[in-house]
Parts: sequence; structure tokens; C-alpha cells
Amino acid sequence: MSSDPYAALGVAKAASAAEIKKAYRKIAKESHPDLNPGDRKAEARFKAAQAAYDLLKDPEQRARFDRGEIDASGAERRQHYERRFYRDFAEEPGHTYRTTRGFEDFEDISDVFGGLFGGGAAGGTRTEGARMRMRGRDARYSLEVDFLDAAKGATRRITLPEGGTLDVRIPEGTGDGQTVRLRGKGEPGLGDGPPGDALVTIAVRPHPVFRREGDDIVLELPVTIDEALLGGQVETPTIDGPVSLTVPKGASGGQVLRLRGRGVKRRGGGRGDQRVVLRIVAPPTIDDELAEFLKTWRERHSYDPRRGMKA
Amino acid sequence: MSARYTEKQVVLAVRRLTKSRLRTFVRAECVRPVETADGIAFTDADLARLELLCELAEDFDLDEDALAVVLSLIDQLHGVRRELRGLARALAEEPPEVQERVRQAWLRATGR
Repeated sequence: MSSDPYAALGVAKAASAAEIKKAYRKIAKESHPDLNPGDRKAEARFKAAQAAYDLLKDPEQRARFDRGEIDASGAERRQHYERRFYRDFAEEPGHTYRTTRGFEDFEDISDVFGGLFGGGAAGGTRTEGARMRMRGRDARYSLEVDFLDAAKGATRRITLPEGGTLDVRIPEGTGDGQTVRLRGKGEPGLGDGPPGDALVTIAVRPHPVFRREGDDIVLELPVTIDEALLGGQVETPTIDGPVSLTVPKGASGGQVLRLRGRGVKRRGGGRGDQRVVLRIVAPPTIDDELAEFLKTWRERHSYDPRRGMKA
Repeated sequence: MSARYTEKQVVLAVRRLTKSRLRTFVRAECVRPVETADGIAFTDADLARLELLCELAEDFDLDEDALAVVLSLIDQLHGVRRELRGLARALAEEPPEVQERVRQAWLRATGR
């Protein structure tokens, strides 16, 4: 310990016995390892204060120390064994004082943790709160749903192999391979343990027109030559029904037009976009009028879209 | 099996512990010795607990009822620490995205 027990307690040399006790109590409250189990540095602080207090609390010893007859080391405690603090035993498995109390109300919040915490049997001479209880196992199912049901949300009923049915609410924007958890719909628990959950893996059937990329819906939209070249309003399907889309003048095949907020619901709010990929479709027959016009036009307006393209 | 100590050995080992004080602690169920064929026996954990009890009794002037309250709270605290440590270890084995999701849910649940 430090050679000055007054400094160790943070008191003046003239401090009264009451002041010394108060100073020691304050340090013990803040630094006793068993009253501050999470503080790994507490032990050294506490031991220094305790040694100082041992010396100073006895008026006779304190007077001898003040007269210089003994030094601070004289008060070092002589112990029959190495002191260990209780906290070093407290989390050992199966010891007498392990308690499962303190979690009784957790089931209100989460049956997962309610079933886990405090559920383990305690060892030792006295066992508190150790009843046989175990959460039921989760049951796993898979369910195939239509593209639009997954995109827009729906409720579908599945028939269980062991009889009975289960209504599965498919949240808006569910993706292929995602799992929907139905709390308490799994296997029953043991004792008064809570039942497990039903985990339903969703398989999404492909759609003939729509495709999903993340939260976006992608769609290829056929347009005529004149719609592409002259621009204008065309109708396009979306997952909410047909909407009008403006094709810009001089659009090319493969050009992507974006309909904001027409995709699927995002996690955390908002919706993705619908991306419309234009595909220019030739007329079913190329009549003489069109052929003659294009030949004449080509002679004076030829252009090379492949310029700068390197293979 | 861990070491066992008799009543006499415990009184000698723990500074400031007297036989009557030990009996008071046992009566108040602050320590719970093991019953054996040769009488009651104490463990190393009991010794550490008795050191703490003597300090609280003497330095903080607590009587046995107050001591029982404090020790019960300390035991509950250790139980909670143990379960949380277990949960933290279990979570540490999960992939980072699961850890992050749980962390976010935990922040929401604790209103942070």
C-alpha cells in the first residue's frame, strides 16, 4: 500500500475518526469488487483504502503511526489465505447461490428469452425456480405464391401435413426465399414452456411480364417505330394496374424509362421503382409506302450507330 | 469437488468472523452451508461471501436483515450478468448482419 494512509483515503492528517470512516465508506461503495462486479480495476483501489482504514480506525495504532513508531506496512493484513472476492465465484456453474430469479416477467416481452433466461436448473443445495420447461420446436413449411401476391402482400392458407390449417400473412414486398415467422404456431412447449414458431419459406412464382430486381420491378415494353421516333403517351402495366408512360421523342430500343415509386415496398419505408425497357417492334408487314420512304430518307440522312464500337 | 471447511476452520480463516456472527449469518440465510454427515461444511465461495458479509456488517453497520437483502440483490445481479454474458457470446457467433440487426432492435427497445 501507499506509505501514506491519509492520502490513500483522501483525508487530512487532522481528520476526525468520523471523517476517516466516511471517506473509507465512500471508496468501499465505489470500489469494493463485490459491490462493483463489472469493475476490474476496483480491487487495487479497494485494497489500498482498506489497508489504510485498518491502520487509522484504531486510535492507538493511528497515534503510533503519527508518532513514527510504526510505518504503514505494519498494518498490512496478515491473512491465513489468499483473499478471493465473491464475484470470482459468483458465475461458476452450479454453485449454491446461483439464482434464476430476476427474469420472471420476461415472458411478457418475448417468449424466446422468457424461455431461455432463468430456465436453466441451478445446482447446489437449494434450487430456485428450476422447473422442467422448454420452448417448443419451430416448425418449417414452404409455400409457393404468385408474383403479385408477394409484391403486394396477401394472406394464404396452408394445409398442414398433420391436419389443420395455418393462415400465412405474406408481407408486401416479400422476396423469393424469404421466411415468414408465425409466433407460437410451431410445436407445443414442454411443461409450461411456450410453443415454438412456424417458419414459412416463401417461393415466388415468376410472372410472364414483371421481373424483380431488388425493390425494383423490371418490365420490357414493346413500342412501335412511330411511338419510339415521334414520342408520346403509351400505356404500360404496373403491379398496381396500367398507367400512362411518356416515351421521349427519338427513343431507342433498350432505353430504360423509370417510373418512380412503382416498385415493391422497401424495408424501412417507401417503394422501389418500375424500370421500363423499351423494345421497338417492327410492323407486321413492311408495305411499299414505308419501304420507299426509308430508301429515299437513307440516301440523304444516313447515320452510323456502330461508330466507335470496337470488338 | 471443491474444498470444504468446518465451522471452526472458517472462523479462523475469515478475519473479524466470530462463531456467533457466523451463526447469525447462517440463520439469516446469507450463507447456506452444505449439510454433511459430520455437520455443516463451507466452500471457498462461502469464505469469500463471509468476508464480504463481515465488511458490510462492520464497515457499513448493516444488520442481518439488511445483509440478506444486499446479498440477495448481489446474487440476482450475478444471475443477470451471467445470462447477458451468455447472450453476448451466443450473438458473437452470429454473422455480422444478424448482430447488426439485433443491435438496432436492441437500441429501439431500450429507447436509444
